[in-house]
Amino acid sequence: MKNEFHPAQEFSMSEGGRLFVAPTRIHDIVVVKGSVLGGRNMLPKTLDIIPALTAVLLDAGTAKKKKNALRDALAGKGISLSFSSSGDRTEFSGQCFPEDLPLLLSTITECLGGAIFPEAEVKNAKALALGNLAEAKSNTRTLAGYALSALLYDTDHVNYARPIEAQEKSTATVRRAHLQDFRKKLGKGGLVLAIVGDTTVAVARSATEKAFGKLSVGTTTVPVKQSNKKIQKENERLIPIADKANIDVLLGVGLPLTMKHQLYHPMLVLVDMLGGGVTSHLMQTIRERDGLTYGVYSSLGGLDAGADGHLKIWATFSPDAYKKSVEKLRDEITIFFSKGLTEEALMKRKEEMTGSYLVALSTTQNLAHSLHAIGANGFELSYLTEYPNIIRAVSLADINAAADLIPLNAFSLAAAGTFKKI
Amino acid sequence: MSPSNGPSVPFVTGATFVRSLEGIHEYRLDANGLQILLAPDTTTPVAGLMVTYRVGSRNEAVGYTGATHLLEHLMFKGSENFNKAKRNTIWELLETKGALVNATTWNDRTNYYVVVPQEHLGSAIALEADRMRRAHIVEEDRQSEMPIVRNEFERGENDMTQALDKQLWALAYTAHPYHHPTIGWRSDIENVSIERLKKFYDDFYHPDNATVSVVGSFDTETTLAGIIKEFGAHDKAPTASAGIYTKEPEQEGERRATIKRAGHSNMVAIAHKIPAATDPDMPALLMLAFILGGSKTSRLYRALIDTALATDVSTTCYQFRDPSLLISYITLAPRIRHEAMEKRLKQEFQKIILKSVTAQELTQAKRFLRAHVASRRDGPYALLETLNEEIATGDWMRFVTLPQALMRVTAKEVQKAAKKYLVDDQSTVGYFIGSNA
Repeated sequence: MKNEFHPAQEFSMSEGGRLFVAPTRIHDIVVVKGSVLGGRNMLPKTLDIIPALTAVLLDAGTAKKKKNALRDALAGKGISLSFSSSGDRTEFSGQCFPEDLPLLLSTITECLGGAIFPEAEVKNAKALALGNLAEAKSNTRTLAGYALSALLYDTDHVNYARPIEAQEKSTATVRRAHLQDFRKKLGKGGLVLAIVGDTTVAVARSATEKAFGKLSVGTTTVPVKQSNKKIQKENERLIPIADKANIDVLLGVGLPLTMKHQLYHPMLVLVDMLGGGVTSHLMQTIRERDGLTYGVYSSLGGLDAGADGHLKIWATFSPDAYKKSVEKLRDEITIFFSKGLTEEALMKRKEEMTGSYLVALSTTQNLAHSLHAIGANGFELSYLTEYPNIIRAVSLADINAAADLIPLNAFSLAAAGTFKKI
Repeated sequence: MSPSNGPSVPFVTGATFVRSLEGIHEYRLDANGLQILLAPDTTTPVAGLMVTYRVGSRNEAVGYTGATHLLEHLMFKGSENFNKAKRNTIWELLETKGALVNATTWNDRTNYYVVVPQEHLGSAIALEADRMRRAHIVEEDRQSEMPIVRNEFERGENDMTQALDKQLWALAYTAHPYHHPTIGWRSDIENVSIERLKKFYDDFYHPDNATVSVVGSFDTETTLAGIIKEFGAHDKAPTASAGIYTKEPEQEGERRATIKRAGHSNMVAIAHKIPAATDPDMPALLMLAFILGGSKTSRLYRALIDTALATDVSTTCYQFRDPSLLISYITLAPRIRHEAMEKRLKQEFQKIILKSVTAQELTQAKRFLRAHVASRRDGPYALLETLNEEIATGDWMRFVTLPQALMRVTAKEVQKAAKKYLVDDQSTVGYFIGSNA
């Protein structure tokens, strides 16, 4: 891969911050993707809704500007900006024209450092959150996801998702003071910021230092992640919902694996061989050969912020063929691990992964997200260009060692939809 | 606009240069009329290829709705020179090299695309050319693919917006084929014959009914030569494909659709009849849609999300070859009644009809438009996707002319469009009612 394709540079910021700047040849677009420390992992489980509500309200009024004034100022420049929250972090994504980068960055820091959470806005945000939770009760994929999390993780683990009803109760109890207190954690501590597109290193650095220099430090401590204590065994949870034409099925198993594990990359390749594209084993058998689903995909999940995660397989099945389809899916997983780990399959998959990496990085958005992920997950900048070589170096022995980490007799199943009576 | 060719536009034997606009060069393949669009850009070492066929679900009728889409699936089963026996299907040949490979079908077009590391572009051209006229369309594959498409249909049915959308279009159109969803009705998906699918292929998959677009990092002369060689092997269609002459009769009053299902999801949507994409009123309608529901500062966001009456709002102005719909979709917050939301939504329409939009709203819309125009060049797929939709309307140059027209739209024109098209008698109102709400 040519170096000029990724002209990214990294600069250290105060309080452990990392700034990545990648000027590209795109015209009239600058993409900003960043985050600061402060997320649900830093709060008791019963308060885990607070970071998400905070993120929603960061641009709903600051000490300097009311909500509409702030949003109109951005819209008047064609700037988009949104905040969200993850386990350890409060994240932001934005896009602007080259001349407006200083305004976008200063608005981000104004929101992080000066959001005031007006009472009326808090009330509205809670109502909307409750509305979204209510709607999630009809979403088959969301419900299967919650159920799988409960099957795979102990209740103290960062990846354990509390039931919707518990989240509804927590949301109702949130007060403005909770949000104000949490906002104080958000500073330049642990800042990770990627600026990509039609800009220069000098402009990006200067605008970043000016905007974030004024921000308080906030929290700088990342909570230590406890390993999953749940013993992995085959469990099943079916969530019946009437009037659904399609059943969402998740099969998963917890793994003793983090991103820093020596077998992380072999595991990535292995999981991609299993269900990472049309040529993967599950797509070739469950979809192409048997016609049982529109799509079946495998992925690693729950590995953000240094946690140990899981292997997940998602498929959708017709209610008429549900039982047969699940049996086939389980059979093919077994067949893949007993017969599918071949040198030929590995070589093809490595070529596919390195090629698709190049294709994915051909957009400003994806490059910004990749740089941010590198920073947030504690990798060196060189990971951006080294990734293809790391993948190419994975051997069949590595794949087999990764497979040994997977308790094959302990896949749990969570499914939601309308089940036919047999 | 007179055709021009800059110094970078090569002349080649076998194709005639037509015009260049903003870095996009159009050629016509002499032998068979294939339209070719080339947009070289060496920003990244990646190239994209798309073949757009001017056939979509508007070309279907009762009994074979969804045929275009099912045929699109069968097009991945192999062709004379690229197939399973030769171990060089599109998946083996290109996905294994990291290519983004897919296809989509909609009302007016079907497209096949590949975004690939640049060195594999030649293989992609050869494969697409082969399956243009030499695809294997056989019953065995229909039987194995039908349940896959049916599951795709079932996935869509689980989604409230898709389910209501189908009902709105079905009610708004009584005669014109926009009446039925692109994926088709379930019984048609299950029963359409292979003969019908093969006829579809033979009627519409010809070079003079298609556009080949190539964008990204590639050598123009080599690529053009490759296209001429591979696609030039095909003849023109033996007969011109049958046009659609069905016109939707004038709507004579408001129509209403209701879906009741178990669950907690609730939605109100109002669809208004609007003209075809190339109509002179379209720029004002697009601005109207953006001002209504396009951002956090839009009318509906402020009226409904900022007041916690709704959890989601959007307004879509569909740009199709034939007269279409402008639809506002509102997901209700708990305990909000559908009737009250409908009334509130119509009040927002009336405000624009009576008092127009503000200069600030128009300025914001035009700034976001500038951002959108820039985003269309962010990677090969973004450019291909946008070009594809303009090709479907019948005029790819809208890629250049539409943003110019949008920048000229005035507040008065937006108000005039609202007054002309946001009319109750030309509307279809839809309720999705969750019985557990």
